[in-house]
Amino acid sequence: MSMRTTLALATLRRHPARTMLAVLGIAVAAALLLDMVMLATGMSESFRSLLLTRGYQLRVSPKGTLPFDSEATIDGATAIVQALRANPDIKAVSPSLGTTLALPGQTFPSVFTLGLESDVQGDYVLEAGRDMPVTGDSLSPTAPLPAVVSKSFLVRSGRQLGDTLTVAAGIDAQLRTTARSRLVVLSGEGRFFYVPAETPVMALPLRDVRTLLGAAYRDRMSLAMAESRRGDSVSVEAVRAWIAASQPRVTAISTETAIRQVEERLSYFRQLAFVLGAISLGIGFLLVATLVTLSVNERRGEIAVLRAIGTQKGGVLRQVFLEGLLLSSAGIAGGLLLGIVTARWLNGILRDFPGLPAAFDFFLWSPEAAWKSLALLLISGTLAGLLPAWRAASIPIVRSLREDAVG
Amino acid sequence: MTFRTCCRVAVAIAVVLSSAGSLAAQGDSALSPTYGRVAPAQRGIAIDARMAEDFGLRPGSRVRLSGSPGTFGDTVEVAAVFQRKADPAEVARREYRIRTHLDHLQELLGLDDRVDRFAVGVRAGVPVDSAVARINHVAFGFRAHKSGDVAVQSSRTFRVVERFHRAIGLITVVASAVFLLCLLLLSVEERRRDIAALRLMGISQGTIIRSIVIEAAVVSVIGSIIGAGIGWVSSLIVNAHFQQVYRTPLLFALLTPEIFAFATLTSLVLGIGAGAVAAWRLVRTPPLTLLGR
Repeated sequence: MSMRTTLALATLRRHPARTMLAVLGIAVAAALLLDMVMLATGMSESFRSLLLTRGYQLRVSPKGTLPFDSEATIDGATAIVQALRANPDIKAVSPSLGTTLALPGQTFPSVFTLGLESDVQGDYVLEAGRDMPVTGDSLSPTAPLPAVVSKSFLVRSGRQLGDTLTVAAGIDAQLRTTARSRLVVLSGEGRFFYVPAETPVMALPLRDVRTLLGAAYRDRMSLAMAESRRGDSVSVEAVRAWIAASQPRVTAISTETAIRQVEERLSYFRQLAFVLGAISLGIGFLLVATLVTLSVNERRGEIAVLRAIGTQKGGVLRQVFLEGLLLSSAGIAGGLLLGIVTARWLNGILRDFPGLPAAFDFFLWSPEAAWKSLALLLISGTLAGLLPAWRAASIPIVRSLREDAVG
Repeated sequence: MTFRTCCRVAVAIAVVLSSAGSLAAQGDSALSPTYGRVAPAQRGIAIDARMAEDFGLRPGSRVRLSGSPGTFGDTVEVAAVFQRKADPAEVARREYRIRTHLDHLQELLGLDDRVDRFAVGVRAGVPVDSAVARINHVAFGFRAHKSGDVAVQSSRTFRVVERFHRAIGLITVVASAVFLLCLLLLSVEERRRDIAALRLMGISQGTIIRSIVIEAAVVSVIGSIIGAGIGWVSSLIVNAHFQQVYRTPLLFALLTPEIFAFATLTSLVLGIGAGAVAAWRLVRTPPLTLLGR
């Protein structure tokens, strides 16, 4: 350890309570800054990974709407899906139809249902049991329809895999009848990516959901997801533009556009993160600046002696500067741990947002962003020590020695 | 992503600004229920103020309204412009809202005789719980909920944000408290020589501690008042900014007497505590040591 470091550490150790408080203050400021950076960048990254879970970079929704943001559906779905699949730049297309089906005689009256094609679906991953039949498999019209349900469905209904129940559509409340119903067997349990964990959800083959909903829905879908054969943003944008130009009744949204729109809706959090991040930087700067300034004022005589026995101006400057650096470094190290703990706590609070997909996080650890923010605080802290260091190096030696001797 | 059951529709609107001059605003009476009456040939709708501003619409303007994109739909007249209520749950959604007669919307969507929900008012003296139980006893395909329960559920977003703000507030209070403690300790310790001189003049330890504590308290209160002033100005800037961004009358930051009292009390307690600790440490040190002798 160099002499300069030893001296700087000795100075900090001279007032342990003061040093401890300063380190604690910087640690809290660093934790807040880290949290705010995680909040500002985490939402986008979390949403991006959520959208790209199954590789689909494009969402095709009814004109003027966001996916599943309204009850609007797209008519002529078969022709649209066929046209998309015929495009050599598109690797896969997954149509889906969302609706609410009644559950006569069950503990809760209805369930959010997704009509999907199981061989291309990108809405869930099977966790237990059997999947739905692939498109083209023929089932007897009277045979129970295999359904994949969420864990919350099994918990709330008290059912198990293998149980059968009836789903119905076209309810007439006055006559207490349903227009169409079908026996389903709970064949599998799935983890649904885009549905809140607490929402019971059921996935059924798309064609059977259409049949249940009646003639008006025989060729409808709520959304189609498309995967571009080439994953670069230029190719995805080219496919999106082609869909927009060739299908006037739909809106095609790329992952980037969807992220932009979500960011717009959640811009409040980003701006809050920016403001609080700036405040924490300011607090860190002021703490170091105040502490080092007062420390220098207290040690004017000592610094004058050092200068009188031949210590160079640069040497004094570097030593005082080192004090600020050591304070900031110790605070940042503590802040890193504190920040991760508080981020988990804050994420737990925000994940209670109603309607939030289970896989969505507000605070996401991103090493690059975290190191950048902590480096920013370190630079801010060391810069804060620059002015007092310069003042310390520039003190008039004779006058300071006399003042120190006379008191 | 939730499958919303509100009556928002994919509305394709072609704006046809009326060249025949503005018609008189029809007000709310134009939107009263039409049951038992024949619907007028040209229907009226109400649009929100944001939409009116963005599309240059006003009462009397004519627009085309359809239930699905690409279809011609109905030509309707803007009968009224309404101001949306300040709803925190909707503040970030940059959607337009229109209000139509129920039968008109059903017709546009081909929904015949369907509604998403309806409100039921019970007669005076009838317990709401028993009314809910009776409705649910006969319900088929729907459920009745108490308005209070619905309000609790729909305000969940707001409560989550409130909890988040409290948590962030706690962290910033801790950071500010440490900063305040540090500053007060340092400001007292910087005056070692003054305190040593007072001790050598014969001023008692108690008097010195009291004077330092009073000084710290005064500094804390003055600091709190200045801080409240800065906070108040900041809240004005924050509100002006977010109200413009989200085009809402909602208040995003509010300095209430309770918040001011909390901040002042916190800084007063911290100030007195820090002052007392620093003063106690100094008066216990021999005066000549404080003078560096």
